[in-house]
Amino acid sequence: MPKTDPALRLSDLRVRYDERTENRPNGVSFDVARGEVVLVLGPSGCGKSTLALALNGLVPHALAATMTGFVTVNGIRTTDAPVSRLSQEVAMVFQDPDAQIVTGTVLDEVCFGPENLLLPVAEVLERSEHALRAVGLWERRLDNPDVLSGGGKQRLAIACALAMDTPILVLDEPTANLDPVGIRDVYAVLGDIAAAGTHAVVLIEHNLDAAIDLVDRVVVLDGDGALAVSGPTREVLAGSAEELAALGVWLPVATLAGLRLRRGGIELDSLPLTPDELANMLNGIRSLPVRPANTPKSSNATGDVAVAVRNLTVTRAKTRILHDVSLEIGAGDFVTVIGANGAGKTTLVQALAGVVAPPRGTVRIGDLDPATSDARALAEHVGFVFQNPEHQFLENTVFDELAHGLRVRRRSTPGLSDAEIEVRVAVMLERFGLERLRDAHPFLLSGGQKRRLSVGTALITGAPVLVLDEPTFGQDRERANELLALLSGLHRSGTTVITVTHDLQLVAEYASHVAVMHDGRLLAFGAAGDILGDQELLERAGLSLPPLARAMRGVTSHPSWSTLTRIADLPESIE
Amino acid sequence: MSGALDPYSARPGVTARHFLHWLNPLAKIAGPLPFMVYLLFVRDIATPLAFLCFALLLITAGARLTPRMAMALWLGLPAVVAVLSVSFALWTDATRVDDTLLLFQIGEYRFYLGAWLIGLATACRLGALLALALISGLTMTGPDLVRALVQQLHVPYRIGYTALAAYRFVPRFRHELGGIRQAHRVRGVSGGRGPIAGLRRYLGYVVPLLVGAIRHAERVALAMDSRAFGAHQFRTERYLVPFRVRDGVFIASFWSVGAALIVAAAQVP
Repeated sequence: MPKTDPALRLSDLRVRYDERTENRPNGVSFDVARGEVVLVLGPSGCGKSTLALALNGLVPHALAATMTGFVTVNGIRTTDAPVSRLSQEVAMVFQDPDAQIVTGTVLDEVCFGPENLLLPVAEVLERSEHALRAVGLWERRLDNPDVLSGGGKQRLAIACALAMDTPILVLDEPTANLDPVGIRDVYAVLGDIAAAGTHAVVLIEHNLDAAIDLVDRVVVLDGDGALAVSGPTREVLAGSAEELAALGVWLPVATLAGLRLRRGGIELDSLPLTPDELANMLNGIRSLPVRPANTPKSSNATGDVAVAVRNLTVTRAKTRILHDVSLEIGAGDFVTVIGANGAGKTTLVQALAGVVAPPRGTVRIGDLDPATSDARALAEHVGFVFQNPEHQFLENTVFDELAHGLRVRRRSTPGLSDAEIEVRVAVMLERFGLERLRDAHPFLLSGGQKRRLSVGTALITGAPVLVLDEPTFGQDRERANELLALLSGLHRSGTTVITVTHDLQLVAEYASHVAVMHDGRLLAFGAAGDILGDQELLERAGLSLPPLARAMRGVTSHPSWSTLTRIADLPESIE
Repeated sequence: MSGALDPYSARPGVTARHFLHWLNPLAKIAGPLPFMVYLLFVRDIATPLAFLCFALLLITAGARLTPRMAMALWLGLPAVVAVLSVSFALWTDATRVDDTLLLFQIGEYRFYLGAWLIGLATACRLGALLALALISGLTMTGPDLVRALVQQLHVPYRIGYTALAAYRFVPRFRHELGGIRQAHRVRGVSGGRGPIAGLRRYLGYVVPLLVGAIRHAERVALAMDSRAFGAHQFRTERYLVPFRVRDGVFIASFWSVGAALIVAAAQVP
């Protein structure tokens, strides 16, 4: 193999899965050299993950697909070698940490790959120790991987990749399933790998704010899977920002803020990529319009209480999960519960929606105590959407799925006629853009459609309160944003919305109120702007400021700006 | 109990005294296996009772037991056998044993000593089978069994290690099923009692569980492929599970004692 070959080369790569009609990706070419970190971006469904699978030959060797163009790794064409051979050149880290673990201890897990390569025991152990030390898990080598946190498991997956001793490392959405602490830990490790320059790294990631510091070049695919832009990070993200935004590609929060400021008539020499850059640019501007102080976006004009929680304590298997939580959620508020993993967020929302019956007298939804009411009465007061929408599907068509809640009620109390059900379901189908799918099987919908259907089923019985447990988990920013925009619409039309979400910038953009949980206790509850700008409070909860708030705290020359947390609060037009 | 069945659980506190832990898993299976088969066909009480006691003594002597496990073996297992003996006796045809001692009578129902002895024989067989299985079950881990199968019986490692990876699915599916049941309950499917409604409810769990399972299995398979699983005909074995002289001695001794027990039990009238 000639020495001039880059570590990784893609040439006019097109992949079509057997059951599909179009190529995704559709004509992508780029090179990655050792020591380089290349970030692949693109809207949902453009074929980013398929591209990743093509890099070590899983496409087309393990998955039924037609591939044209070629990929070479260290000069080897992926079509000419089996995956097991290619795995000595390309190591992979996937999104779901649980789906990458096969053995019973951390050490065995890292040894698994080198053992498959039939290396001598001494070398297996040497590689494994080296890899575990690199990710900071050597001290935990005898633990069962199950006891690691999500971030810990993902660092283990990276160690497993390092132990393969490959020149190329591919990471497909490595932090999509992690909480903020896990994301920070994983990027600390990836930062070390990038700094060492030992690997050609291909990174697929939608959390640009976490990744931006270590990326050298960016490759952007458009919605049809074709190569749209490619080049150095700043040139692409700042230089083609408008174009990328139009493609539906997510940008760093600081860049989005910069775009909005430009539209608002504020002159910026270039677009910022990080919170610090944004702060410096704003500090360099002599005068900025005064911003109004944060006001809660509450539409709760009436002062009615939708959900009241009083001294709620939940104990499960002798462990206290919630500790004396009290709060009142106003009718029409958009409340988000935040906190590190294990803080009790899910338990709290499940208790206040009656999914797990809370102790009697601790929760009231309207005039109902979920501890003493049956499922049907509860469904008229509160709808609950689970993390995985598939879990709650019961019927064989989208129409029946929506009608289910109404039909169940009819069984106990005579009420709605078939015609009335038809009408109400039709309204719901239209509201969530599912009209053309009314006879489709719920499991055959796309991810976003499934999510919308699950929200529809929770609302069909007319519940004024909607509770969602981590509805954006494992989704990219585009899907997450789409869902939150939908919830925002429901909120505007008067529904009280309560969610658990990890992405604090999304929280900042949409929530009117935020509850901060830490170790089973409610640390704070108040207007979103006040809480998300409180660095000390967030750090106590094991979180950190969302990117825009981080930038604005650095804006010392314009005091009225230093408390802003939402892009929507930046000036939109020349004042 | 879940800890005892965890294929990965390491046993803290295992010392040289706990000789069962130091034997090859295959030896611990090969020793009791012929007698487990034999017990399927015996009808008396003495033989299963002898094997039950033998197995319990062996486990107590050679396995590392927590106080709870010891209690379960010595008090729980006999209690279960006792309860089962009565329940099986209730199923026995009373006309076949009405010449034996009448123990008690409730209304028209008569409980004869003969019926209880038949029930006791069946319960002892089940107890003995369980105790014999626990000799290996309590003293080996899943990975060790897989390694022994691959190293001594030359089972292809692709099958052995895939089975081991599948163990990890169990807790995952339990978690997933919990989520599905919760979601279905909230949607209001609980509206019915009785076996038919229960069956329908369980059928409703199957589709989401299967969809999740297939997707998970696919991802695990891709992750294993990416780490060169199946690259060569063999893979490095870091842990050797040798078949030593002591394993042969264990099997031979076990068979001798077992044969002696059978002969002795036959002497009991």
